[in-house]
Amino acid sequence: MDDVNDLLAALGTAVAERRTPGPATLDALGRLEDPMTMQAAGRILKGLSADDGGLRPVRVAVQATFTAGPFEQLLRAALVGAGALPAIEVGAYASFDLSLATNAYAGDGDPDVLACLLADGYLLPAGWSAGDPAALVAHLDARVAELRDLVLASAERTTATIALHTVPMPAELRDGLISWRGRSAVAAAWHRMNAALLDLAADHAQVVVIDLAGLLADLPAASRDDRLYRYADMPYTVRVLALLAQQVRRVVQARQGLSRKVLALDLDNTLWGGVVGEVGAGGIELGGLYPGNCYAGLQRTAARLREQGVLLALASKNDPDLAERTLAEHPEVLLRPAAFSARAVNWEPKADNLRRMAATLGLPTGSFVFVDDSAFECGHVRAELPEVAVVAAGGDPAHPARSLLRHGWFDVLELTGTDRERPDLYRARAQRIEHSAGFASTTDYLHALAIEVTGSPVTEYTAPRAAQLAARTNQFNLTGVRYDEATTAAMAADPGRLVATFAVADRFGDEGIVGAAWVTVTESEWRVENLVLSCRVLGRGIEFAVLEWIARRAQAAGAPVLAARFVSTDRNGAADGFLEKAGLAPTAEPGWRSLGLTDRPDTFPTWIRLRDHR
Amino acid sequence: MTDTTSVRDTILAVLSEVLFEPVEALRTEPVLAVHQWDSVISLEALVRIEERLAVSLDLRSYHEAREVDDLVDLVVAAGASVNVRL
Repeated sequence: MDDVNDLLAALGTAVAERRTPGPATLDALGRLEDPMTMQAAGRILKGLSADDGGLRPVRVAVQATFTAGPFEQLLRAALVGAGALPAIEVGAYASFDLSLATNAYAGDGDPDVLACLLADGYLLPAGWSAGDPAALVAHLDARVAELRDLVLASAERTTATIALHTVPMPAELRDGLISWRGRSAVAAAWHRMNAALLDLAADHAQVVVIDLAGLLADLPAASRDDRLYRYADMPYTVRVLALLAQQVRRVVQARQGLSRKVLALDLDNTLWGGVVGEVGAGGIELGGLYPGNCYAGLQRTAARLREQGVLLALASKNDPDLAERTLAEHPEVLLRPAAFSARAVNWEPKADNLRRMAATLGLPTGSFVFVDDSAFECGHVRAELPEVAVVAAGGDPAHPARSLLRHGWFDVLELTGTDRERPDLYRARAQRIEHSAGFASTTDYLHALAIEVTGSPVTEYTAPRAAQLAARTNQFNLTGVRYDEATTAAMAADPGRLVATFAVADRFGDEGIVGAAWVTVTESEWRVENLVLSCRVLGRGIEFAVLEWIARRAQAAGAPVLAARFVSTDRNGAADGFLEKAGLAPTAEPGWRSLGLTDRPDTFPTWIRLRDHR
Repeated sequence: MTDTTSVRDTILAVLSEVLFEPVEALRTEPVLAVHQWDSVISLEALVRIEERLAVSLDLRSYHEAREVDDLVDLVVAAGASVNVRL
């Protein structure tokens, strides 16, 4: 869907029919760059009230030190394009300090994300004197210290992720000082102020800082329209607000687990120049000068994503032996065969290959980003799998590396140890599937895997991973509730609660932490408020081992009953029926099931060894 | 040289987008205040008109415009070059 009018009409229809826009419409919305069209889309989407579960609800509060104007519409369009159903609350004009000081932005409850929009007018003294740069510098230092205190104090009282940004130095200040020495001193103070804002991300786990001042260097448009600034206190043009909205979208996407996990790459004219089947391994363009350095650049970009936990997959129409040999032996190749967690090098349609690789990895095709130079292949995948994000790598080979990164498909709030190990974990999974072919029965195979499940109360080191699992896990998520890091940490510190993480290892390697449970603990009953398990370990009985671990601890604590509930969502069918199979019987309380711990049925899988702590 | 008809068509298209009104309704009732012409909408229209017609307007004159043709006259006087991107 490339036509703007078609897109806006499709959005209008979805709003009128109270349903999630179709995948092709969401894809087109997600790729929108023109701020005017985004604004129009955002206005239409204000009426969106889809309750079919196709979009993930998210609450965003916006507090600005200026007139935010079209920001709400731009943000709404960006968020729906990323798969979210946003409820956006924009604070009243000139209420920034008061709202942060009292957490008034929370309204009836904490939002998921608080976006703080800042401008220079908030930081500069009203009548700054050009004759005294030192006083100006002192004022800026003091002002940013006040702002830092305000943000940090607010972060202590909320579970929201607080997103703020650096502030570009206004031309009025830069050019209003005629002494080069004074200009340098004030510019240095301005950069120090922005550095102090960026440091907030290191000072508090709930704070994210967007480097707007840096991003503007890449924006080919004016950042301020003086007329709108003077008339309406709008210090940023709609293009800057669109850029900011996309950055906040990336924060929301990372926080809500809407980011992608897999990068599927074509080979010929994508990871190297030329068609290897025609020119041979020695004839491809890779490394050295242009254009070979462009292809090496894309490989390096993909390798860096892999270092941060993104799974790489190969989707190439090629002779598999020749492709393998080229990847293994060409001296300039940076992505050797072992870098890919899944491979589909054959002559089958690429959409089919992406589906197969998704099944092998145990991930939905909606977690894939696909890069290919061929307009035909890109169009085919868009048509067959509109939920896959497609990056067209045709044209000049200098562009794809930046095109791949600029949207922020893979953003996460924080990298965990599991993230870094993920590519190898999934590669082991693919090997496991190959290994399973040699066994007479599933049980024989599972016994041969020598699976160990280790349960541990959550710690300050594992709370981020537990929250990440809650955000990302859809299929085995008992209730659909997503406890964030702040809530998880608060529950862990509460003696009436237990939050536990579960790690899995087998003969093919250590999967790391793949599950988490949030439990309310009383003398009479332990209640599992939610339990999530990564889809990559489903089908091995791990969930029964997890429940067994909780049951044993409850029993050891003297509790007679273990209770849990299943709440059906549009995507957690994998967890449906689990509690029943684990022996929990319905209770009088709607949705809840329970199990007497003194005489409980043995549902623990014989092929799993259960361990306590690590 | 500016083609007044093209300028009018472009302005009507922009107004139709920001006011969520059919172009025909704006032709029939060209007085802006009759529609939802508030300060937010008028600034959104300003940005769009300037971008599509490659022109920069004086905000004071812009705010004095009462009807569609006042906007057309303003844009023509500012020397718009038609760069229609509907």
